[in-house]
Amino acid sequence: MGAYIVRRTLWAILLLLVVSFLTFVIFNVFPSADPAALRAGRNATPALIEQIRRNLGLDKPFYTQYWIYLKGLLEHFNLGYSYYNTESVKSEIFSRLPATISVTVGGFVAWMLIGIPVGIISAIKPRSLLDRIMMGGSLVAISAPVYFLGLVSLFLFAQGTGVLQWAGAAGSYVPITQNPGTWFNSLILAWLTLAAAFAAFYARMTRGNLIEVMHEDYIRTARAKGLRESVVITKHGLRAALTPIVTMAGMDIGLLLGGAILTEIVFNIPGIGRYAYDAIVNADLPAIQGTVLFGAFFIVFANLVVDILYAFLDPRVTYG
Amino acid sequence: MRRRNAVFVGLAAGALVLVAAGFGNGGNTSGAQGKKGGTITMLSNGDVDHIDPGQAYYQFTYAITYITQRPLLAYKPNSVTPIPDLAASMPTVSANGLTVTVHIKHGIKFSPPVNREVTSADVKYAMERGFDSAVANGYASAYFGDLVGAPTTPQNKVPNISGIQTPDKYTIVFKLRKPSGVFVGALQEPLTAPVPASYARKYDKGTASSYGNWQVATGPYMIQNNAAGKITGYTPGRQIVLVRNPNWNPKTSWRPAYADKIVIKEGFDPTVGTKQILSGSADVNGDFPPPAAELKSITSNSSQKSELEFTATSGSRYVALNTRKPPFNKLLVRQAVAYVLDRNALRLTRGGPIDGKIATHFISPDFGSVGFNQAGGFNFNPFPSAGGSGDVAKAMALMKKAGYKSGKYSGPQVTQVADNSPPGSNTAAVVANSLAKIGFNVKTISVQHAAMYTRFCNVPKNEPNICPNVGWLADFHEPQTLLDPTFNGKNIIPTNNSNWPLLNDSAINKLMDKAELELNPETRYKEWGQIDDMITKTAAAIPWIWETSPTLYSTKVTHASELWNGGEPDMSFMSVK
Repeated sequence: MGAYIVRRTLWAILLLLVVSFLTFVIFNVFPSADPAALRAGRNATPALIEQIRRNLGLDKPFYTQYWIYLKGLLEHFNLGYSYYNTESVKSEIFSRLPATISVTVGGFVAWMLIGIPVGIISAIKPRSLLDRIMMGGSLVAISAPVYFLGLVSLFLFAQGTGVLQWAGAAGSYVPITQNPGTWFNSLILAWLTLAAAFAAFYARMTRGNLIEVMHEDYIRTARAKGLRESVVITKHGLRAALTPIVTMAGMDIGLLLGGAILTEIVFNIPGIGRYAYDAIVNADLPAIQGTVLFGAFFIVFANLVVDILYAFLDPRVTYG
Repeated sequence: MRRRNAVFVGLAAGALVLVAAGFGNGGNTSGAQGKKGGTITMLSNGDVDHIDPGQAYYQFTYAITYITQRPLLAYKPNSVTPIPDLAASMPTVSANGLTVTVHIKHGIKFSPPVNREVTSADVKYAMERGFDSAVANGYASAYFGDLVGAPTTPQNKVPNISGIQTPDKYTIVFKLRKPSGVFVGALQEPLTAPVPASYARKYDKGTASSYGNWQVATGPYMIQNNAAGKITGYTPGRQIVLVRNPNWNPKTSWRPAYADKIVIKEGFDPTVGTKQILSGSADVNGDFPPPAAELKSITSNSSQKSELEFTATSGSRYVALNTRKPPFNKLLVRQAVAYVLDRNALRLTRGGPIDGKIATHFISPDFGSVGFNQAGGFNFNPFPSAGGSGDVAKAMALMKKAGYKSGKYSGPQVTQVADNSPPGSNTAAVVANSLAKIGFNVKTISVQHAAMYTRFCNVPKNEPNICPNVGWLADFHEPQTLLDPTFNGKNIIPTNNSNWPLLNDSAINKLMDKAELELNPETRYKEWGQIDDMITKTAAAIPWIWETSPTLYSTKVTHASELWNGGEPDMSFMSVK
């Protein structure tokens, strides 16, 4: 197991290097905005723009810029400074990390707490009215984009903008350390919005898997042994049905991060997603680079954790 | 300066409020009867461009800069006439126009931790640091480049400009190389707000100044800071907190500064932000206009529409045709395009009549009488059509004259580079459809708004046939700031070019060069009016809207829109009710 983790970690580092290089290439090859011109302003002379370009190191070939960046990153864990406001990218990302963790972890919990029970109930009572309502609802949730769902939920339930004013307003986020109640209230709509599509998809997947598993021979054997139906479902059926779901969940956490960008924009949560969005709008390469690397790290790490968890869930899995 | 909604770039300052269709004036615009205390909350979608007042060049940022800093001149909210702020009186200009003298007020102090009185040397340093590439001010060369000793190339340190002299602590004398019609007007720019050299110099060292994060204030408010002077009230992209400047002396200022605290919350979706203001959980919009659907709803609601004010912006949006490339190097072809362009449909892409009048030339009607009437006012429309929807017959007649026998273009495909998102992408679609009526096949390359400018339309060697999403606002109340950067042939530069049609007409250039030196305002405005007329007739660029900018207030606060700044709220004049 130890060797496996080391090997996977080395691959992860290589992957992160490739991702950072590709981001650099994309930024330099495709027509994005010129950061020196943006920083200089409308009436600036070409000479001033060139001077700013030199000051920011943008006059060097992109591979030299990449090497300088990489050196800073490996030697000092320095993610560079924003072209736009000269703030440290590392500081910005770490100061925004709690908000993004709050959004994604909360969204993940909501997604699992809704998706799996709904899937189980539907699988136990297939083709019932309850099953049809829940599967119909899940289709709606899958179809609704995060942006649309977020705005609708704000206009229905948020203080200041909603008809019912049950939940915190957009922009009301505070850290959990400051006020847990306000923190929860400010994020509840964001969690549900972020979780909706995933929960719906997982409900359908859980339902399908469980229905299939419940027709397996060993389930019939378990029933023949006289086990209670609840034990058959939870101990024998669900364990097998959930294994592929856990694998999927690991991969989907990356997608959750993508959804978190939109969620943070709609609900004005000052997280890394919002920072990434602003960086793209401002052609702020160090900030784009930092957020892309963070996202890649998050996905790679989540996949590693899932692979390790897999061994516990499925005894057939071994690590060579 | 970047424009409020960050859609079109240019400058904004000279503008008059348009109280459209009975809207607006729902509060105390003069601020004369405000109530002391309380907190004002402004919502914005994006961030300030730069927190350093020497770098700021954006309408939204100016709404904060002008209440934390005191430039030599400034404006009251309901006025477009600059008045002394740090200055004790209006500047005096010598008969030959080469010397401008300004006296500054006594007893104005910097905020903590500097705490000392402002002197003329602080103004000198503030202006000089604008020429340092570590500060990279965007307009220092354009407006203060005529100072004797002003650097002509970018500097890696704060230069000493011999043309800025400080004979005593309260007098500053500017020596110019040649007379300038706009120099005095430019003294209202935030670059003239004092910066204490002994305190700021250490932050100005290096390749990028960090003074913005350690700035001190002279206005009634300051960005919240700690005892060492480090700004703690600014979190980029999230929030700006302004508190009272304890060293501000109300006797030296005409700003009432009612509120105790001002909070600018950033990152709001415009629709969500608008609804929060309507509900009273926030007080006013900053960098975003309420979306068209919200505006429609507000203006049809009798209790809400009085909280909305429309302020005209001091410029126009236009479609630029590349005069260096066929087929738009031919005057008749450009004029045909000017006739066929459906300006009404273009305006609909921005929300229709509520967004402003259809433009027929460049100087905005709400630029006061400064050049607009001299250009012919509303009667000047060289390319008329019914309802502004385009005149295909006249366009085809011109195309025939240009050598296209059928009246339709028969040459190769033309290219336009446009925004990849609405409303700019919709504007580009209307341009393509209009041109198709006279035979053009327009290929549209869609890119991010900033890339459209900085990689294509601002770079002559990359410039396409058409730039449909451009426009310009005046920096301040002088037509020169509107027309000179954008249409003077001498301003065509290899990068950051704002003369998008690449117009280089010797007659126009000559008259501009003359008008720039003219010190008599009446003569100057007449000349710029004539220039506007000449440019419009070249059809090198086709204006299609004189836009207004909506500001929405909550019912809990009084109104105070900055007419000179495209409707940004003057929060030093607003008060809680």
